[in-house]
Amino acid sequence: MSSGLIVQAVLAGITNGLTYALVGIGIAAIFKGTRIINVMQGEFSVTGAMITVLLLGRASWPYWLAILGGALSGAVIGTAIELLFVRYMMRRQASPQSFILLTIGIAITMSASVLFFIGRSGYVLPPFGGEGAFVMLDAVIGSHALWLIASALGITLALRLFYHRTTLGLAMMAASIDADGAATTGVDVARMRTLTFALGGILGAVAGILVTPLTSVDFAMGINLTLKGFAAAILGGLTNPLGAAVGGITLGLMESLATVAVSSSYKDVVALSVLIAIMIFMPHGMLGRAGRRGG
Amino acid sequence: MRWRYAALVLGLCAWAVLPFILPRNLVDLLVFAGIYTVAGLGVGLLLGHCGIVNLAQAVFYGIGAYATAYLTVEVGAPSIAGFVVGALLAMTVALLLGWPILRLTGYFLALATLALSIIGNALFYEWDWLTGGTLGIGGIPKLEAFGFALDTPLRFYYLAWLVAFLCMLLAHNLAHSRTGLMFRAMRDASDAAASLAIDMQWLRTRVFVLCAFFGSLAGNLFAHYTSFVSVQSFTVDKSFSFLLISVLGGVRSVFGTVIGALFITFLPEYLSRLGDFHQILFGLALIAVVVGLPGGLVSGFDLLWRKAAARKATPHDR
Amino acid sequence: MMAPNGWFPRVIVAGAILAVAALAGRDVGAQAPEPIKIGAVLAITGAAAGLGVPERNGAVVAEKAINAKGGINGRPIKLIVEDDTTNPDTAVTKANDLIFNQKVVALLGGTNIAPTVAMGGITDKVKLPQFAFTGLGPDVEKTRKCVFHMFTPHALNARTLFEYARVIGAKRVGVLHDSGYGTVVMRELNNITKNYPDVQVVGVEKFELSATDATAQAAKIKAANPDAIFVIAVTATAFRSIRQLQMNQPIVALNGASSYEIVSAMGSAANDIVFPEFVVYEDPLPSQKEFLDYVMKETSTRAKNPESVAWDAMHVIAAAVGKVGPAAGNEKLCEAIRGPYKGVTTDYDFSADDMTGIKLSGYIFSKLVNGQYTRLPLRLKD
Repeated sequence: MSSGLIVQAVLAGITNGLTYALVGIGIAAIFKGTRIINVMQGEFSVTGAMITVLLLGRASWPYWLAILGGALSGAVIGTAIELLFVRYMMRRQASPQSFILLTIGIAITMSASVLFFIGRSGYVLPPFGGEGAFVMLDAVIGSHALWLIASALGITLALRLFYHRTTLGLAMMAASIDADGAATTGVDVARMRTLTFALGGILGAVAGILVTPLTSVDFAMGINLTLKGFAAAILGGLTNPLGAAVGGITLGLMESLATVAVSSSYKDVVALSVLIAIMIFMPHGMLGRAGRRGG
Repeated sequence: MRWRYAALVLGLCAWAVLPFILPRNLVDLLVFAGIYTVAGLGVGLLLGHCGIVNLAQAVFYGIGAYATAYLTVEVGAPSIAGFVVGALLAMTVALLLGWPILRLTGYFLALATLALSIIGNALFYEWDWLTGGTLGIGGIPKLEAFGFALDTPLRFYYLAWLVAFLCMLLAHNLAHSRTGLMFRAMRDASDAAASLAIDMQWLRTRVFVLCAFFGSLAGNLFAHYTSFVSVQSFTVDKSFSFLLISVLGGVRSVFGTVIGALFITFLPEYLSRLGDFHQILFGLALIAVVVGLPGGLVSGFDLLWRKAAARKATPHDR
Repeated sequence: MMAPNGWFPRVIVAGAILAVAALAGRDVGAQAPEPIKIGAVLAITGAAAGLGVPERNGAVVAEKAINAKGGINGRPIKLIVEDDTTNPDTAVTKANDLIFNQKVVALLGGTNIAPTVAMGGITDKVKLPQFAFTGLGPDVEKTRKCVFHMFTPHALNARTLFEYARVIGAKRVGVLHDSGYGTVVMRELNNITKNYPDVQVVGVEKFELSATDATAQAAKIKAANPDAIFVIAVTATAFRSIRQLQMNQPIVALNGASSYEIVSAMGSAANDIVFPEFVVYEDPLPSQKEFLDYVMKETSTRAKNPESVAWDAMHVIAAAVGKVGPAAGNEKLCEAIRGPYKGVTTDYDFSADDMTGIKLSGYIFSKLVNGQYTRLPLRLKD
C-alpha cells in the first residue's frame, strides 16, 4: 500500500470526521444545556442546507446571505421546538424516553416534509474557494474540504470559549447542571433552555451547509448524519464540544483507515466495533473524566 | 369478579371472530401487529423494568428470520429446527455481546445497542451466502397446523396472536414475580439493590437474553408468514419501531405493547389514504401522543375508563 | 362500579374500538363495476421515492392516455396507486388490499426487489399478472410465471458494462459498487469476467448504501490505475468521490443512477459518465417521441426509464385485457401477456425465462456531458 493512499485516507478521514463532529457538537450542545438527546439533529442540517439552496437558487440571494439565512433557520426551528413542545413536557416532568420519542417524531415529520415540499432530488451548494484542489504527498484535497476543516475547528474553539469565558455560556452551563442553584443566582433557566435549542439548531444548520458542497443534501440524509454525530458526541463524553471534535475525527479516521487497511466490506463493522470497545474501556469518553457526562 | 370473567370471555370471542369480519388487508395488519407485539415485549421488559434502551432488537428478529429461512429453504430442515436454532443463536449472541456491553449505562448503552444494530445489518448484507443479501431468501414453506397450511392472513392470525398471548403471559408473570421485584429494585434504587447482593450485571444479561429470545421468535413467525426475508426488513428503522411500540404503548404495561403495536401498524395504513403527506401526519401523530400522553397510549385508555366509571358511579361510591 | 384492573378487560375495549374503526374504514358497497381496475404498489415515500414517484407519474399518464383513446374496448380503466414506503411488509398489506378488496386485474410493482418478491408470493398464488419494476431477483422468481419484469436481469446489466469497456478499448477497469444492488451485480460480473479476457478488473471496492462519501474506496481504485471505472450504485456519492480525487477516467454506470435528481446531486462531477439505458429525452428514438411529448404536456417533466416502464406496463395490460376480455380470469390474462411486446422503453418478450426478454441490442447509451444528457450512436449486437 502506497503512502499516497494512506495520506489520502487520513485526509478523507479527517474531513468526514469533522463532518460528524459538526453534527455531534450540536448534539453535545443541546445535551449540555438540557440533558435531552436530540435525535433530529441531522434534520437541522438537512433543512438548513435546503433553505440555503433555495435562497441561493430560487431567490437569487448572494451566497453569504443565503448561508446566513440557512443558519438562522436552524435557530428559528430550534426555538420553535423548545417553546412548543419541550417547555410543556418539562413542566410535566416527562421521562428521558419521552424526549427521545419527541425528537424521533420531529425527525420523521421534518424528513417527510422536505420530501413533500421540496422533492426527492439531491442538491449541491457551490464549494467554498471554488472547484480547485491541492495535491500533497500524492493525495488530493479540495479547497472546500480545507475550508470545512478550518471552519469546524474554529467552531469548536469558539464554542469552548463561549461556554467557559462568556457570561451567557456560563449561565447556560449552570442552568443545565443545577437548575435550582442557577435560578437562585438570577439565571433565567427557561430562557437558557430556549437559547440552547437555538444554538443547537444553528450548529446543526451550519453543519449541513458546510457538508453539502461535498456530499449533496437530500430528504433522506438526516438520520445518518444524526447517527454519526451521536457517535462522535458520545466518544467525546457527550457534553464537551471539543470532545465531539476529537470523537468525530477518531470515527472518521477509523472508517477510512479500516477501508484501506482491512477491506471496504467491513468498514462499518470495524469502525463500530472499535467504537464499542472504546466506550467499554474508556467509560469517561476519550478525553477522560474531565470530559465525561454520559448516562 | 364475575364481571371480569364475562369481560374476558367476551374479549376472547371478539378476538376470535375479528378476522372473519374484517377485510383481508386489515387481518394482514393484525398479523403483523401480533408479530411486532412479541418483539416489542422483549424491548419493553428491558426498558420498563430495567431502564435499558435496546436498539438492537432488529438483529435478533433477523437472526430468527434468517435461521428459519436458511434451514427450511437451503437445508430442507423442518420448521421446528428453524425455531430452535434461531432462538439458540439469538440467545447466544445476546449472551456473548450482552456481557461486555451491559456494563455500560444510559446513553452509552443505547448507542452500543444502536451500533450493534448497524453492525448486524451490515453483516446481513455482507454475508449474502447465508442471507441472500439484497435478493433475500424466498420460498420459505408455510407452517401447518391440524392439516391446514397457514397460508392466508386469517389462518396465520390465530397462530401469531396465540404466541403473542403466551408471551404476554410470560412477561406479565415475570414482571410480577420475585425476579420482577429485583428488576424494579435495580432500576429505582440500584445502590440499595447492590447492597442486597443482587447480581445486577447477571440480571441485566438474563433479561437481554430473554429479549433476544422474543425477538427471534417474532422473526420466526415473520419468515413463515411472508415466505420471503430480505435485509430491508431488518434495518435500524425496525429497531426504532420496536422501541416505539413499547414506549408509545406504555413502557411498564404488557397490554401497552399491544396498543403500541396496533398503533404502529394501523395508523400508517389509515393515514396513507390521505395523500402523499401521510408520513408528515404520522410524525405529527407521534409527537401528539408523546406530548399529550406521557404515560403512553395505555394511560389514554385508563383516562377514558376512569371517566366512564366516574360518570356511572353513584354518590355513595365516591 | 369500580374501574377493572388488569389487561383482559382492556382487550375488549381495544378490540371494540378496533372493530368499529376497521369497519368504518372499509369500502362500503361496490359501485357498478364499470372501470377496469389496475393496482400499483410503489415507493412514493421512503428511500426509493426517487424511482417510485416517476413510476407513478408514468402510470398515471398512461391511464389518461388509454382512457383518452376510449379505454379498453370502450370501458375506462382506473389506476389505484398505494405507497409501500419502501418497506416490503407494507407492500404485502397493500397488495392484499388491491387484489382481494379492490379486485384489480393486474398489479404494478414493486419499485425494488424486496417488495416485488414479497408481493410475488401473493400474486403467484392466484396467478394475478404482476409487473415488477426490477430485474429478475432471487431464484424463487424463476418459478413465478406471472410476475413479469420491466427491467433487465443483473447478468445482462453486468454484460453491458463489459461490452462498453470493450467498445472504448479499456483494458483495465476498476469497480465501485454499493452494498445493496451493487453486490448483486458484482456477483454476476465475477461470473462473466472469463468471457471478457481483454478487459481486466483491477480493483473492486464497496461502499454503504447510505454513505455520503466514498473517497477512501475511490482512492484504492485510483491506486490500481484503471482505464475506466464501473460504478454500480443508485446515488451520486461514488461519482462525486471519484471526480473529487481528480480521477478523470471515463465512468460507465447502470441505469439505476441515471436520473435528473441524481445528476443534480453530482454537481460538477456530472461529466464523462455513460449509462446503458433506454430513454434519453434530449435525443430520443423515433418510437419514443410521442410518449415523451405526452408526459411533458401532462406533467412538465422530462420522462426517463421509470416513467417509460410504467407506461409500457399499463399498455401491455390494456392490450392483453383487450384481447381476452376483463372477465377472462388471471390465468388467461397471464397467457395473453406471455409473448413479445414492442414497448416505448425497448422490445420485450415476456415469455422469456428471465421474464423480460430484453436483449443487448435493446439498450441505448447516454452520456453526461457537463451535466447534460446526450445520446451516443452506439448500439450493441446480441
